[in-house]
Amino acid sequence: MATAIELETSHGTGHGDDAGHGHAEHPPTSTGMDSRKLLMWAFLASDTMFFGALIATYMTYRGRSEELAVPPYPFDILDIPYTSISAFVLLMSSLTMVLALSAIQRGNYRGLRVWLLATALLGSIFVGGQYFEFTEFYHEGLTLQGNMFGGSFFILTGFHGTHVTIGIIWLMTLFVVSLRGGLSREKSMNVEIAGLYWHFVDIVWIVIFTLVYLIPYEEVENLAEPAAQGYLWLSTMASYAGSLIR
Amino acid sequence: MAAIVHPQRVPAPAYAAPKPEATGLWSWLTTIDHKRIGILYGTSAIFFFLLGGLEALIIRTQLIRPENSLVSDQRYNELFTMHGTTMIFLAIMPMSAAFFNYIVPLQIGARDVAFPRLNAFSYWVFLAGGIILNLSWFFNMVPDTGWYGYAPLTSIMFSPADNVDFWALGIQVLGLASLAAAFNFIVTIINLRAPGMTMMRLPIFTWATLIVNVLIAMAFPAITIALALLSFDRFVGTSFFSAYNLVDGNLITTGGDPLLWQHLFWVFGHPEVYILVLPAFGIVSEIIPTFARKPLFGYAVMVYALAAIAFLGFGVWVHHMFTTGLGPTVDSVFAGTTMLIAIPTGVKILNWVATMWGGSMVFPTAMLFAIGLVSQFTIGGLSGVMHAVVPVDQQHNDSYFVVAHFHYVLFGGSIFAIFAGIYYWWPKISGHLLDERLGKMHFWLQFIGFNMTFFPMHFLGLAGMPRRYSSYGEESGWWFWNVVASIGAYLIAISILLFLYNVARSLRDSRRAGDNPWDAGTLEWAMSSPPPVYNFRDIPVVTHRDPLWAEKYGSHAVPADEGTLDVTLGGAKVGEADVADEDPGKQIEHRMDTDDTHDIHMPNPSFYPLVAALGIFLAALGLLVNNPWITFQLLSLPSLSVLGLLIMIFGIYGWSFEPAG
Repeated sequence: MATAIELETSHGTGHGDDAGHGHAEHPPTSTGMDSRKLLMWAFLASDTMFFGALIATYMTYRGRSEELAVPPYPFDILDIPYTSISAFVLLMSSLTMVLALSAIQRGNYRGLRVWLLATALLGSIFVGGQYFEFTEFYHEGLTLQGNMFGGSFFILTGFHGTHVTIGIIWLMTLFVVSLRGGLSREKSMNVEIAGLYWHFVDIVWIVIFTLVYLIPYEEVENLAEPAAQGYLWLSTMASYAGSLIR
Repeated sequence: MAAIVHPQRVPAPAYAAPKPEATGLWSWLTTIDHKRIGILYGTSAIFFFLLGGLEALIIRTQLIRPENSLVSDQRYNELFTMHGTTMIFLAIMPMSAAFFNYIVPLQIGARDVAFPRLNAFSYWVFLAGGIILNLSWFFNMVPDTGWYGYAPLTSIMFSPADNVDFWALGIQVLGLASLAAAFNFIVTIINLRAPGMTMMRLPIFTWATLIVNVLIAMAFPAITIALALLSFDRFVGTSFFSAYNLVDGNLITTGGDPLLWQHLFWVFGHPEVYILVLPAFGIVSEIIPTFARKPLFGYAVMVYALAAIAFLGFGVWVHHMFTTGLGPTVDSVFAGTTMLIAIPTGVKILNWVATMWGGSMVFPTAMLFAIGLVSQFTIGGLSGVMHAVVPVDQQHNDSYFVVAHFHYVLFGGSIFAIFAGIYYWWPKISGHLLDERLGKMHFWLQFIGFNMTFFPMHFLGLAGMPRRYSSYGEESGWWFWNVVASIGAYLIAISILLFLYNVARSLRDSRRAGDNPWDAGTLEWAMSSPPPVYNFRDIPVVTHRDPLWAEKYGSHAVPADEGTLDVTLGGAKVGEADVADEDPGKQIEHRMDTDDTHDIHMPNPSFYPLVAALGIFLAALGLLVNNPWITFQLLSLPSLSVLGLLIMIFGIYGWSFEPAG
C-alpha cells in the first residue's frame, strides 16, 4: 500500500528514463525500463499472491456453510444482476484509464483531467455499490462471524474494495496535481503506473466475480444430512469446545 | 594479501565528498544512504541475535538436568517461541538485509538502491516490528504458541490474552518491511547495473540477493493473509481457523478449518527457509573463490541451482504436514518434490568443493566459516532429505531430531555464513581488519560448541525426546546428551563474546585495511574502505565476471562468459571491450568525465520514511494496549491506530511530494 502510493510522484533517485527531472548524470537504467514501472510490476506480482491466498481461502470454504446447514446461503444472498452492473462499471473504468494515459501522452491536459475524473467516478460507483451491497447483506443476516460464507466473502471482496478505494485516492491525487500544473507530458509515467495498478485491480475483479458470483452454488435441498456428510467430528469438537467454555 | 593498485578507478581520498557527510543522531534518523542503512540493519540484527541467544541459553540451562525448575512451563513456552521468532525474523533476515544493503549496490556499480527512501522506510518498519514483538516482555504478554503459531491454539478460546496478538502484529509489521525491501532490491539489481554488467556477469551474491527477494515478494503474501485472518479471528470474531464459533452466546459449527492455517503458514514457511539460507549460499560463493584463488566453478550452474531451489521451494510445503493425514497421494507427491530439491542443493555443494579443488587455498577466518557452512549444511541437508521419506518424517516429527536438523541448516549454515560475511566485508565497511588470531579462536570455539550442542540432539531425537517440553524425567536416559548440548551452548556464548571483543578492538585500531585486503575480484573492492558516500566517482564499465581479477591478472585469468564482451546499457550497445588487451586499466572505460565530485548528484536525506514507519508502529500498537476505541457505524477502531494511520498517510504524502533533491 505504502509502496503503491509512493510511486506516483516520487522520483526516487530518478533512475527512470523519463526526462522530467533533468539530472543529466543519472544513467539510463540497465533494461531501459523506468525503475518505478518495474517496481509496480514487482508489487503486482506480489499482490497476485495476496489475492491468491485470499481466493484459496474462499475456495476452501466455498459450499461449507451449505454442507453444515449454517445460513444465510450464497444463493439466497447474492444478487447477480446488481453486481453484474457494478462489475461492468468497474471494467469500463479501465477504458477511461487508457484514455487518460493517451491524453497526457499527447499533451492534452484537459482530456487527462476529464478521464482521470471519469475513472475515479466509475471506481467510486463500484465502491459505493459495494458499500450498499454489504449493508444490504448485513441486514439480511450475513455477518463476518455467522458462517464461513460470510467471513470469507466479506474479507475477499472487502480486500478488493480497499484496493479500489486506494486507487481512487491515487487518481484524485493525480487529478489535483494536474490541476495545479504539476503533471506535464514528460511525467506521463506517473499516470501509466497508476494505470497499471488500476487495470490489475479490474482484472482481479473478473476472477473474484466469476468465482464468488457466477459459478453456481449447490442448493441446500440437494445435500444430505450434514452429519452424514462426514462432518460428525466437527459437531463433536464443537460440543467439546462448548464444554470448555462452560 | 597484498593490496593491488587500480589506476584511475579507485576513488582515492584525494576526491572530496560532494558534501561533507553529516554526522549526529538526526543524520542517522534521516539517512537514505544504503551503506548507513546497511549498518543500521546490521547493528540491530546483532542486538536481536544476542537477545535470541540469551533466550537459547536459558532454554539450555533449564534442560541441563532432569526435572529442572529454573523457569516455569509458561516461561519456557515463551522462551522457545521468542527464540525462534527472534532468530528468524530479527536476526538472520535483517543480517542478510544488512549485506544486501551494503554490498549489492557496490557490487553492481550503483550509486544507491533504486528507491533510497523506500529503503529507509523498510529499515524503520523492521525496527518497529522488532520493538512490537519484544514489547510483549514489558507487558508480560509474551507469545507462547511457537514460531509457527498453530491453530486452534492461537484462537481466542485457548489463548485469551494478548500474547498471540503481539506475535501476529509484530510479524505482520516485519513482513511489510521485508516486502518493501524486496521490491526495492529486485528493481535495483535488474535496473541499476553498471554498463556492461549483464545478468550473467553479476556477482553470485547479487544473484542470491535477487532470487531471495523474489522469494520474499512471492512468499510473504501468504503469511500476511494468514496473520490477517488470524487477527480477524481474534479481534472481530470470525472463525477462519476454528471449526466452531460463539455468536451471541450460541455455539455454532461454522466449519472453519485449523489445517488451513498450516497450509498458509507453510506455503510461506518453506520458502522462508530458503530466504534464510540462500543469502548464506551467496556469501559463501563469494568467499570460497577469493581464498581458493580461482574463479567460482560452474558459475552459470550455480545461478540455475539458486533459481531451481527457489522455484521448487514453493512446491514442498506439505512435508511439514506429513503427520496431519492428508493421504498417501498428497504425501507421495510432496515427498517427490522434496527429494528433487536435494539435486540443485547437491550441485551447489559439489561446485564449492570443485572451486576449492586444486586452488591455492588460504585460510583466513572468513574462509574457515565458509567451509564451516559447506560441511555443516551438508549434514543438515542430509538429515533434511531424510524427511522426504514419509514414515521417517512421521517418526521424527516433533522430536529433537528435527531440532538438530534445522539448526544444522540455519545455525551451521546461515549463521556461519553470516559470520563469514562479517569477517570478509568488515574491512570494507569499517576500514579496519578484524584480528585473525581472535577470529580463529572464535571460529574453532563456535565450531566445536555448535557441533557439541546440536549433534547430540540427533541421538536425543531418535531416543524419543520431544521438542518444546520444558523438562524430562530422570528415567528417560536423556540426561547425558542434554548436559553435553548445554555445555556446547555455553561454548558458543563464549565464542560470541570473543567476536564482540574483536569488533570493539578493531574499531579502535589505527591501522587501515586498504582497499582490497583479500585481493578479491568483485567491484566493491575497487573502492576505498569505507567507500565514499557516492560510491564510485566514475561508474565503471564491466567486461568480465570478476572485473578486478580480469584487470589485474589479464582476462585469461577469468573464464570468458558465454556472451560477447559488448558493453551494453539499456539494451543498446555502447562500446566493445577488447578481450585480448591485458593492459591493466585499459579495459575500464569511463562513461563520465567529471573533473570533480561536485557533479555527483546524491538524493537528499528525508525524515518522511521514519514518519510513515512511526505511523505503522502506532497503528499496530493501538490494537495491543489499552486505549479508547472509536466507533463509526459497523466499523470500530482504537484511537491510537487511527492516529497511526493518519500519521502514516501524512508521511507517505510528504514523501511523495518532497523533492527528491
